[in-house]
Amino acid sequence: MDNLTEELKKRLIEILNLTDVTPEEFDENAQLVGGELGIDSIDVLEIVVMVEKDYGVIINNKEIAEKVFSTLSSLADYIRKNSPK
Amino acid sequence: MSSKKRNVYIVGIGIISPLGYGIDATEQALRKNESAIAPLHVFAIQQPPPLPVGQVLNLPDLTFPRTHRLAITAARQAMEGCTHPPDAVIIGSTTGGILTTEELLASQDQDAHNYRYHGLTTVAEEVAREVQCSGQALTVSTACSSGTVALSMALKMLQSGKAEWILAGGVDSLCHLTYFGFHSLQLVDPQGSRPFDKNRQGMSVAEGAAMLLLSTTKPQKPLGQILGCGLSCDAYHPASPHPEGKGASRAMQKALDNTALKAEAIDYINLHGTGTIENDRAESKAVRSIFPQPPPLSSIKGATGHGLAASGAIEAAIAAICLQKGLVPANTGCRQPDPECRLTPILQPVDLPISTVLSNSFGFGGNNACLVIAQPDLFSSPEPVVQSTSLTLLGKACITGAGHTQQSMERFSQGETMAGAVDLETISAQLPVRKVRRLKRFSRIALALADAARKDSGLDHSPHCVFMGSGWGSLSETYDFLDKLQQSQEQFPSPIDFVGSVHNSAAGQIAIMHEATGANITSSGGDYSFEQALLAADTFLDRDDRSNSAFVLAADEAHIQFSSLLDPSIEPATPLTDGGGCLSLCRQAMPGKLSLQLTFFRKKTTTVMDELITASGGKETLQRSCRMILAGIPAAEAKEGQAQLDSFLEKSGLTIPVIHYREFTGEFASASAVAAVMAVHLMESSEIPSREKILVLGFGKNVTCMEFGRQQN
Repeated sequence: MDNLTEELKKRLIEILNLTDVTPEEFDENAQLVGGELGIDSIDVLEIVVMVEKDYGVIINNKEIAEKVFSTLSSLADYIRKNSPK
Repeated sequence: MSSKKRNVYIVGIGIISPLGYGIDATEQALRKNESAIAPLHVFAIQQPPPLPVGQVLNLPDLTFPRTHRLAITAARQAMEGCTHPPDAVIIGSTTGGILTTEELLASQDQDAHNYRYHGLTTVAEEVAREVQCSGQALTVSTACSSGTVALSMALKMLQSGKAEWILAGGVDSLCHLTYFGFHSLQLVDPQGSRPFDKNRQGMSVAEGAAMLLLSTTKPQKPLGQILGCGLSCDAYHPASPHPEGKGASRAMQKALDNTALKAEAIDYINLHGTGTIENDRAESKAVRSIFPQPPPLSSIKGATGHGLAASGAIEAAIAAICLQKGLVPANTGCRQPDPECRLTPILQPVDLPISTVLSNSFGFGGNNACLVIAQPDLFSSPEPVVQSTSLTLLGKACITGAGHTQQSMERFSQGETMAGAVDLETISAQLPVRKVRRLKRFSRIALALADAARKDSGLDHSPHCVFMGSGWGSLSETYDFLDKLQQSQEQFPSPIDFVGSVHNSAAGQIAIMHEATGANITSSGGDYSFEQALLAADTFLDRDDRSNSAFVLAADEAHIQFSSLLDPSIEPATPLTDGGGCLSLCRQAMPGKLSLQLTFFRKKTTTVMDELITASGGKETLQRSCRMILAGIPAAEAKEGQAQLDSFLEKSGLTIPVIHYREFTGEFASASAVAAVMAVHLMESSEIPSREKILVLGFGKNVTCMEFGRQQN
C-alpha cells in the first residue's frame, strides 16, 4: 500500500465527513462514485477542489473525470501521473 | 371566507434585467434576440478572466445593498400610476444583503449595525416601506423558483380573498456566493449560457428584479391575468433535477389542473432552460410527458442569464409582455438544438398572437413552480376551495438548548430556561449518519425536528408538503464558503458548502428524507419566520387536496461569528442559543384534536392593537375563550414590545397569565416555533377546558397571533 492512497483515504474521509468509515475499511478498489459510501456528484466536485488545491492537479473534463473517479486507486494513479511535484 | 371566484389581474409591471429597465426596453431587447451576457464587472475578482454573467447596468444609487436597490427600483416601476398601497408585499429572494455582507466580512468589519440589511426579510420590509404597505411583508426563498413561488402565493392569497392588492415578485443581485458557487459546481458555461444547444456547457449567473402588482379588482387596462400555479418538490437530490423531470412535470400538470385548462390550450411555454446539461435534459422530458406536441417554446436565459430568485418573476413579466405584444421570444444562444432533448425551441423571435403562457421555474432542493398566465378575461379563475379556518395538529417536536422535545418541556414545566446550543451529536442522534454527513447544524436541526414530529404524529405516512421558516438560514455553510473562498484567494470554494448554503436546502433535505413531493416553501421573516411558514401553509394547504398534510417548522442555528453581527437581539455577550420547532398539520377537521390558526400578522402601526382584537373576535370573545398568553418580545424590541403587550392587555381587558417565552427559549429568530410547541404542550398537559385557547403573540416590528385550541365535535 503506497502513501498517496493512504493519504487520500484520510483526506476523503475528512472532506466528505465519512465519520463512520475508517481508512482501513476504505477499499481503494471499490466503486468510488455511486458505491456503498454514497459518494455522489457534489462529493466528486469537492474532491476535484481538494485535488487541485492540495496536489495541483486539475480535473475539469467530464470524460477524464469519469475514469479518474472510478476508484480511489485510479484517482491516486491520476494524481501521481499529473502532479507537478 | 367567501368562495367567490376572483380573477387575478396584472395591474402593473416592474422589470429590471440585463436586457434593460421596464417593459419597452425589455420588449425591444427580446425582439433583437441578442444576449446581454458579458464578463463580470459588478465586483472585482482576484483570479481573472471574469466569467460571463448577466448584470444590470446603471442601477440607481440608493443607500441599500444591491438586491434591495434592484427590488425597490422594480417596485417603483410596478406601482407607477397606482395611488393606493398594496395590502401585502411578497418577495422571492435568495441573496438579501449578502453582497454587502461579503464586503464587510472581507474587511473584518465587526460593527453589527453595518450588517442590518443582511436578512432576506429586509428586502420585503424596505419594498413595503417604499410602497407604503402596512400589511404583510413576506419573503419566500426557494432558490431559483423563488420569484414564481412568490407570485403563486400572491395568486392564492388573492383568490381566497385574503387580500385585494399584492405586490409580488423576485429579486437577486450578483454576489460572490452565487458567482463562485455555481462555478464550483462546474455549472457555468465559459462561453455564456446557450440553453438547449447541443454544445451547451451550463448557465450564466445573473441578477435582476421583477415586481408585479396584482389585484382582484379589474383595472382599466389589465396587462394579463394569472390563472393558476403548480408547486412540487422532486424530493430527489439537493442540487440536481430528477433525471426524468418527474417533479417538473408534476408542477406543470398541477398548474394546468389548477386552471382547468388542457395542455392543448397553452400557446407558449417559457422554459426554465438554464443551459445546464441536466436541467435542459430533464425539463425536455417533463415537457414532452405533458405536451405530446409542444406549443412554441423557448428559454430567454441565453439573453438574460439566470437571475436565480428573480428569474421566475422576470419571466412572468415577460410572459405578460408577450401576451400584450403578440411576441414569442427566441431561445437566444441556441444554434443547434440538442437532438437528445427532442424539443425545438424558437430560434428567432416570432410575431404570433398568443392567449396563454406556461412559465416554468425549477430550483435547488428540487423546488418546482409553474404559472399559467393569460390574456385578461378569456378564462375565469377556478372557484377557490372553501377552507376551514384552522389547521389540525398531528404531531410536534422541538429542539432547544435543553435537548429534544421531552427534555425541553421538562425544563419548561419546572420553570427553568431551555436556552443554549445543544451539541451536534445530540441533535443528530436519530438521523442516519451517511445521509446527514454533508449537513451542518441548521439542516440537521431541521431534519431532526421533522423526524421527531413525524414520529410524534403516530401516522405511518409522512406529510406531503414542507413549510419551513428561518430567520437566517444556513449560517455555517455560508460562513465556511466565504471563508474558504477568501482564504484561497478565491480559488477553492467548497461545492458542498455552496449547496448547503441555500436557504431552502434544509427543507429540500426534509423532502428527500420523507418523500414529501408536494409544495415545499421556505420563508424568512426574521423573528416572525415561523409565523410566515404557517401563513404559507395556510395559503397552500387545500382541504380537498388528498396530499393535505404538512410539516410546518422553523429553525435557526447559533453561529459564533454571524449570530451577534446579524441578529439585533443577540449581543456579543449573549449566550449562543438556537433550535426550533416543528408541527405536523393537516387541513382536515378532526374533532377533539388540537387545532392551530394564524389569526393575525401585521406590521406595527398605531391601530394595530385594535385590529388584533377585532381579528381575534373582539374583547368579549377574547375574555371568554383565552386562558393564557405566550408572548414573544425580541430583546432588540424590548421596550416597544412590552408597550405593545401592555396595550393589548389593557384594550382587551384580559387578566390571564402571560408567559414571556423568550425567557425560556433564549434569543433566536425561530423562538416562536418553540413557543408553538410550548403551547401545544400546555394544551395537552394542563387542565385547559375544551373551549378555551392559548394565544402565542409576537411583538416588535410585526404583531402576530397564533391561536391554539381544541376542535369541537
